[in-house]
Amino acid sequence: MRVVIEFKNASVTYRGGVRALKNVDLTINDGEFIVIVGLSGAGKSTLLRAVNGLVPATEGSVTVDGREVVGASAKDLREIRSDVGMIFQTFNLVLRTSVLNNVLMGRLSMVPLWRSTLGMWPEEDREIAMQSLERVGIVEKAYVRASNLSGGQQQRVGIARALAQEPKVLLADEPVASLDPVTSHIVMRDLQRINGELGITTFINLHFLDLARAYGKRMVGLRAGELVYDGDIADVDDTTFREIYGRAITPDDILETKE
Amino acid sequence: MTAGARPAPPKKSVRPYLVAVAVTAFTIFAAKEVGLSLSQLTENFKTGRDFLARFFPPDWEWAKENVPGPMIETIQVAILAAIIGCSVALPIAFWASKLTANNKWVYYIDKWFLNVIRTIPDIFWAMLFVTGIGYGPFAGLLALIMFSLSIMGKLLSETIDSADPGPLEAAKSTGAGHTQAVQASILPQVMPNYVAYALYIFELDIRASTVLGIVGAGGIGRVLEAQRAFFRFDRIMAIVIVIFVFVFLIEQVSVFIRRRLV
Repeated sequence: MRVVIEFKNASVTYRGGVRALKNVDLTINDGEFIVIVGLSGAGKSTLLRAVNGLVPATEGSVTVDGREVVGASAKDLREIRSDVGMIFQTFNLVLRTSVLNNVLMGRLSMVPLWRSTLGMWPEEDREIAMQSLERVGIVEKAYVRASNLSGGQQQRVGIARALAQEPKVLLADEPVASLDPVTSHIVMRDLQRINGELGITTFINLHFLDLARAYGKRMVGLRAGELVYDGDIADVDDTTFREIYGRAITPDDILETKE
Repeated sequence: MTAGARPAPPKKSVRPYLVAVAVTAFTIFAAKEVGLSLSQLTENFKTGRDFLARFFPPDWEWAKENVPGPMIETIQVAILAAIIGCSVALPIAFWASKLTANNKWVYYIDKWFLNVIRTIPDIFWAMLFVTGIGYGPFAGLLALIMFSLSIMGKLLSETIDSADPGPLEAAKSTGAGHTQAVQASILPQVMPNYVAYALYIFELDIRASTVLGIVGAGGIGRVLEAQRAFFRFDRIMAIVIVIFVFVFLIEQVSVFIRRRLV
């Protein structure tokens, strides 16, 4: 199995001294679908953002496809990032522009500034953007303003934008935390299907334990910045969650019981 | 659910009353200092009435020959100044926002630059350029460019400050360079505001350009100043009416477009 993401003794210390990630060792293989769970503030988002350097690791090493993220030059970092798609809890779409323009954002690193500024995208890039929209099933919305879409549709545009990068890795930071339960399952199934169809290594932060159990294959548990669990999702039971969370499971940790 | 105890209403603050007293006191004090008195107004009313009579009837015969050329020059200067000033202001505004500046040095230097040029009034810019490059509309144009730039820089950079940073993070995560990420994620967010500000600045430029001629920067203001020197108040009246009509019409159109934008 080929290693795609590797953390070696990686730590993140924020300015002001907060240690969000402590000496993490983690190896992720090509094509894996891996879920991170932990309390809010445990460092889940930091772990994810250390992969593409949006939050740079301050110690240790993080590699993506063999390339070192820690201390990478701006140019190298951009190259690494172009291989890593990311989707966000709040979708992070430009609401005032069309769905297609949002998806084309995934092609920015492939075209010169004047092309993206004037909207003169090469035909291949438009084609890739359209195919990405087809893959998440909302190509008919291509010319609609992003603000006119529902939350679930907006997140699928977010996924399409990441797919337009033709990435090796997909990072998903609480992708369903802003969605209702039904839409949450649709989006999670989309991610699972894309992982299966395209073999893109997928690394997801999830708050809800039942979603982690339903969709994950491998699970990583974070507690106060430390990696406290790493194993097959099939072996996970309530005791495991209690250990990761440091407390008993409450209804707030489960999606299905929430209205 | 059991209801919790209702909270006590917050204590009434005396601050609004103190502010009201302070503002009143300052107004009385300042009025005394500048010699505002109603008796002076009524005493001078008769001479004022005679003075006003000299403005009528407006000298339209003269105006037909002498006003259109300089008025068109004034409008051209205002249009050019708004276009050039607002274009130059675009990158400068992006450097003046913490969200989109390339680094903190660019941000601090640019912020300082904008603060300096904003403290200089438009009429002073005109005097500066008239002294530097000589009389004429070109000095007026440069003055209004600085004026437009300073306003757009301030307004747009503050709009950028309040833009949603999420799409910028998303653009950066795709591996886009800084300028490209900003262009794709922040520019579309502030674009309607930018166009609205540009129209507003054009209105300000039209109004400002009518007076800049007084210090020698060309346009209708130059004609106005010349007639004032000859005490031809009937001609001044004609000019003022023309300026009023133009400014009024342009503002109506601009306000109409701006309402549609934001």
